[in-house]
Amino acid sequence: MPRIIGNPKKSFVTGNETAAWACLVAGADMMFGYPITPQNEIMHYWTRLAPKHGRGFLQTEDELSAGFTVCGSVQCGKKAFTATAGPGNVLMQEPFGMAEAMRLPLLAIIQQRGGPSSGTVVYSQQEVTLTTFGGNGEGMRIVYSTASHQEIYDYTIKGFNVAWKYRFPVFILGDGYQAKMREPLEMYDPEDRGIEMIKPYPLIGLEGKISAGREPQHLCNIYSLEEELYEVVMKVAAEYEALEDTIVEYDEKYCNDADIIIVSHGVVSRAADDAVKALRAQGIKAGYFRPITLRPYPRKQLRAAIAKSGAKKLLIAESAYGQLDRLTKQEIFGENVKIENLFKPGVGIIDYDIISKVKSVL
Amino acid sequence: MSFSINSTGRIIEAYIGEYASGKSEMAINRALDLKNQGRQVTLVDLDTVEPFYTLRTLKKVLEAMGMKVISFAREDSFGLGETGAMLNPKARWALMNEGDIIMDIGYGVQGAKTLNLVEGANESSELKILAVINGTRPMTDSKEKIREYLTELGRVDAIVLNTHLGDETTVEIIKMGNDLIQEVGCEMGIPIAYMAVNEDLHELVPAEKYAMQVKYIKRYMPGAMW
Repeated sequence: MPRIIGNPKKSFVTGNETAAWACLVAGADMMFGYPITPQNEIMHYWTRLAPKHGRGFLQTEDELSAGFTVCGSVQCGKKAFTATAGPGNVLMQEPFGMAEAMRLPLLAIIQQRGGPSSGTVVYSQQEVTLTTFGGNGEGMRIVYSTASHQEIYDYTIKGFNVAWKYRFPVFILGDGYQAKMREPLEMYDPEDRGIEMIKPYPLIGLEGKISAGREPQHLCNIYSLEEELYEVVMKVAAEYEALEDTIVEYDEKYCNDADIIIVSHGVVSRAADDAVKALRAQGIKAGYFRPITLRPYPRKQLRAAIAKSGAKKLLIAESAYGQLDRLTKQEIFGENVKIENLFKPGVGIIDYDIISKVKSVL
Repeated sequence: MSFSINSTGRIIEAYIGEYASGKSEMAINRALDLKNQGRQVTLVDLDTVEPFYTLRTLKKVLEAMGMKVISFAREDSFGLGETGAMLNPKARWALMNEGDIIMDIGYGVQGAKTLNLVEGANESSELKILAVINGTRPMTDSKEKIREYLTELGRVDAIVLNTHLGDETTVEIIKMGNDLIQEVGCEMGIPIAYMAVNEDLHELVPAEKYAMQVKYIKRYMPGAMW
C-alpha cells in the first residue's frame, strides 16, 4: 500500500477527523454511513479523502442499511467500516448482531451522544451497555474505549487488524467531546511503525470446490434447530474467552498502596488521571484504573489491583447513570470492596468533581 | 424607521474556514480587541447545523466582559433538539445591529455558504470575509492543499494566518505553516489580514520582525467544554 502520511508529523485536528485519517492509513476500502451528530465529520472527512485515494463511500438510507452493507462488503473481502452514535447505534445493533453471528470483521466507530432516545447531540458515556452487550446475542465483540485523539488513531488502526485476524466485530468507542475536541495528533503510516496491516480477504466465492479441496463456508445468522444454534454459540463463546488475555487492555497508576481506586473509562479517565495526581499531592492515597477494552473487560487486572493495594473502596466515575458501574460489578463479583459512584449522565466530568467526591467518601 | 447596512466607519468581519481552523478563537479575540478600543461590538455565532457546540458554553463569560453575543444559550435551546438546519433569527438580522459585527461562521467549509442567510450580507460593502488557515491542519498543510481549499471556500477577501499546534506550538511550526499559506495567498492575489500568535509566544514572535500585522491572542475555546 502506498504511504499516505510520509514522514510522521503532528497535526492539529478534531477527533472525527482523526478517525477518518486512521481508517485511510489502515487501508479501509469503503465506508457506509448515515449522518448523525456527533460523528458526522468522520463521513465529511472520509468523503473528502476517499476519492483522492481510490476509496469508496456510500450514504445508505438509514443505519440498518449502513450496518448491513458493511456486513456484505466485508464478506466480499473489502475492508469496510461505519460510524454512528446514539439512536443510530441502537439501529445498528441488528447488523452488529449479524457480524457476531457470522464472525464478520466489521469495524464501527461510535461517538456517544446523550440518551435515552435522541437525548442530546453533544456528549455522554451512555452507550456502554449498548456497545458492549447490545443486540440479541452474548456480546461477542471487542470494544476499545479511547481517551485521546492519539488513541482514536492508534486503536482504529489496531481495530482493523484485530477484526480481520480474529473475526469478531470491533468497536472504537469515543464520545461527542472527543469527536469535536481539538488537540495535536501524530499521524503515521502503520508500516513505518512496524505494523503490518492484514490484507482483507473474501469470505464468500472462495476458490476450489466444496467437498473437493475445501470445506463450505457456513456464514449463517439463522439456524433451523435449537441444538445447531447452541453448538455455534458455545463454540464462539469458547473462542472469544480463549482470546480474552490476548485482547484485554487497561491502564493502571498508583494502585500499589491505594486506599481508593478510581475506575473510569474514555475521556473521563483524563479527569481521573488529573484528580489522582492532585489527591496524591494532598496526601490522599488514590489509585487509577482504566479499562481500555470494555469488552472483554480487564477483570483479572482490576481484581489484582484491588488485591495488591488493599483498597477498601472503588469510585466509579462516568458520564452515565451506572453503565460502567454495572459492567464493573459483574466482572469483579465477590470482591470485598465498597463501591462508590459519581454518575453524571450526559454531562462532562472534570478533575474537581472526582476530587470532591473522593474527599466526601473517605 | 430605516436601517442602514452601510453605515460609516464600522467593521464587519466574517470568519470562515474548515473545522478547527480557529474561526471561533479569531472571532472572539477580534471582538474583544474592538471592544477594548471602546467600540460597540456584537459577536455572532452562526452555525446552522450544530449550534450547540461553538460559542454556547462561553456566552456568559463573554457577556460578563461586556460583549453582546448572539448565540444559543440553554434557555433559548429548549425543545430544539436536532432539528436540522437552524438559523437563529438574531443571527439572520445581525447586520442590523449598530456598531461592529464579528461573525463566527461555523460548520466547516460548507458553513461558508450560510453567510448567504444573513440579511444584507451580499449587499454590504463593509463586510470582509476572512479565511482562517492553520498550516498544521492535514487539509491545509501543503501549498496544493491550501490552494484547493481556498478555491473551495469561494469568496475570500483576506487570510488570517493561524498556524499553531495547541500547547505544542513552536516558532518553527508557526513559520513553516505560515510561509506556505503566504506563498499561496500571494499567488492567488489574496492579501493577509494579520497573523495570529498565542500571547504566550509574544517574546519568541516579536511583531516588529514581521512585515504584517501580528495579533497576540488568548485562547478561549479550551474553556468551552465539548
